[in-house]
Amino acid sequence: MASTDTMTNKQDIFTDGFWHHNAVFAQLLGMCPLLGVTTSAENGFWMGLATLLVLVGSNLIVSLVRGFIPDEVRIPAYIVIIASLVTVVELSMNAWMHEMYLILGLFIPLIVVNCAILGRAEAFASKNNVIDSLVDALGMGLGFTFALLLLGGVRELFGQGELFGFDVFGANYPDMLLFVLPPGAFIALGFILAGVNLINMKRKAKQEAELAQSKAEVSG
Amino acid sequence: MILSKEQRHIAFTLFVVALVTVSMLVWVASITKEPIAQAQRATLHNNIKQVLPEHSNDPVNDMFVYPLSEGKEVQVFPAKNKQGDVIAYAWEQIAPDGYSGTIRILMGVRLTGEVVAIRITSHKETPGLGDGITKDTTWLSSFIDKTLNNTKWAVKKDGGDFDQFTGATITPRAVVKAVRQGLLFYKNSQADLLKRVYATAQAKSMTNEGAK
Repeated sequence: MASTDTMTNKQDIFTDGFWHHNAVFAQLLGMCPLLGVTTSAENGFWMGLATLLVLVGSNLIVSLVRGFIPDEVRIPAYIVIIASLVTVVELSMNAWMHEMYLILGLFIPLIVVNCAILGRAEAFASKNNVIDSLVDALGMGLGFTFALLLLGGVRELFGQGELFGFDVFGANYPDMLLFVLPPGAFIALGFILAGVNLINMKRKAKQEAELAQSKAEVSG
Repeated sequence: MILSKEQRHIAFTLFVVALVTVSMLVWVASITKEPIAQAQRATLHNNIKQVLPEHSNDPVNDMFVYPLSEGKEVQVFPAKNKQGDVIAYAWEQIAPDGYSGTIRILMGVRLTGEVVAIRITSHKETPGLGDGITKDTTWLSSFIDKTLNNTKWAVKKDGGDFDQFTGATITPRAVVKAVRQGLLFYKNSQADLLKRVYATAQAKSMTNEGAK
């Protein structure tokens, strides 16, 4: 019994991070990298992965040291940890993924101020064990990557008629520049959020209907 | 001032956190230093290759610094043929008047004063509008073989020979102006540049001899 319990618990933590409390769709955090780099699916994907790496690292370290850091200085300590991890990711990207670094370079240091990361350190990793914190970081990070990839894909598709650099709509597609420009990021994000809310509403309605049915069965 | 036990504990914790993270950063910086330098060299090599004609030397290795006015200087990369004669130069020309900030242009120029090719190495122009200067290969190749005399150095809107982009005139205008300035710089310092090349080559061979 206990093992299945922890299993669903891990699953819950993951889906919570990936969907229900998704940094972008549910909490609208990390808007700066989100709107800044998602001009194409590829940029969005790599920015998401860089954030995921930092998030996993920071959740791991914070949950390891949570017993040792006095409450009064936990925020500065977390910030120092996160900033160092970001620098590590930045240096590694510069060294081994130089071309991507040239594109994303400006936005990598900004991961430090992505409140989604400090938020997870503070709200989750500082109160939970290492395994749970890792699962939480993976869920949150993948959720963020998914959001960036989706927004980047939509903007690239409508803005340039391409996806991952491959032509989708043919050469005659009139590029809708608006989607590549910053306002397009807000517009596309608005539509995506509307879609996410629609999915959530339908699921809620279905759950309520099921609940009502089971109640009716019990009373009947 | 005497700190309480608690305060000392706080200070000590922060000290340890800083110490550990800084040592980690020093370590990562040391192992990435060489790969980063290599990647930067590779990018530079690749860009320079694209703006120079066929050559037998290593232009990056033969690079020399040429002083400009006002204490500025420019790195010049010479291309040489098999006999060791200079056939072209590449250097970075800066257009300070892009639509949003500076545009850096790597340009290659033949000894006879024709543009070999140009590449944009960095810019902050609007995606989808001004950034056509990096993507529009037809536009980039419209610079090939242009000299100061055979071309009107302006965009068509200003009565020149170069296309502007729909919705973006300022960016191509800045690039055209900068490349023209580059050609003027070449015209005025042609003789000097040649002297420098051979001086550099001699200095290099001297040190090589010395090493032997």
